[in-house]
Amino acid sequence: MLSRRQLLVASAASSPVLLSLNACKGPAVPAVLKGPPPVPDQTTMLLHAVTAEQNLIWLYDRAIAAYPELALSPLRSEHREHLAELRARVVEPPGKKVPDTVTAKPAIGATRAAALARLRAAEQNAVRVLLSRLGGASPSLAQLYASVAASEATHVTALAALGPS
Amino acid sequence: MTNRAAASDVAALQGALAAEHAAVYGYGVAGAMLSGAEQARARGDWIAHQEARDTLEAMLVKLGATPVAASPAYQLPFAVTDAKTAKALAAALEDGVTRAYLAVVAVQDRTLRSFGALAMQPPANRAAAWRGSTVAFPGMPT
Repeated sequence: MLSRRQLLVASAASSPVLLSLNACKGPAVPAVLKGPPPVPDQTTMLLHAVTAEQNLIWLYDRAIAAYPELALSPLRSEHREHLAELRARVVEPPGKKVPDTVTAKPAIGATRAAALARLRAAEQNAVRVLLSRLGGASPSLAQLYASVAASEATHVTALAALGPS
Repeated sequence: MTNRAAASDVAALQGALAAEHAAVYGYGVAGAMLSGAEQARARGDWIAHQEARDTLEAMLVKLGATPVAASPAYQLPFAVTDAKTAKALAAALEDGVTRAYLAVVAVQDRTLRSFGALAMQPPANRAAAWRGSTVAFPGMPT
């Protein structure tokens, strides 16, 4: 009867798989995995963009509640579309959740004009931040940032048409 | 910058220039069907496209390329017979220009990316004005 070792040698000779396994003999002790790799800059920027949209939506929620007569719902709907598309681009980094919390809750303003000014400033800031992220992004993500920024630039114009600056 | 990168930069800018040529032509058609304040707005937009065309031509010459020429005539996407269709044409022209600048954003050169992203904002705004509403993703295929 063949011993276990003989069997292995026999099959190794006829099996390229086993041969290649044999060739992979490394150190006796495997390397220790040192936790997840760092989150790439591009993902961090995308997560920031997600949070920025959530903050904008929060602001619109407050403004719509306080001043329902202003036709702000269509603009909020577009921000929800931005948020969904940005979230869809996130490959969830290990150990890090896609944020779903609002990080900035400024006062909405005691008057309609103040609320509109607050929204306009928030949209303008969002445009500026998105444009600053183009360089470090992939071509496809850069296009998404640019398109969202252009949409938000049209919101600035639409808000200006709703009231005095 | 490698030659290959420069070639894609040039191609994107040529696309934007072709869209500006088409807009300059199209506003001539749309403007003829508009009157009063709308015609004045169309004239202002027509001039904005001529200026953008000149900017792109200068950029292309600087890159050592020959700017694409305008066609003598363009086939319109639909018949323009009244103010309503004229405004729809203006919005469609602006959408085309916005799309072309969004293509510039995909190049590797950071300065050109910023240029494309900034350049798509005026046409996105003009499209919204002619259409009477904003969109979530200007320049993106719908």
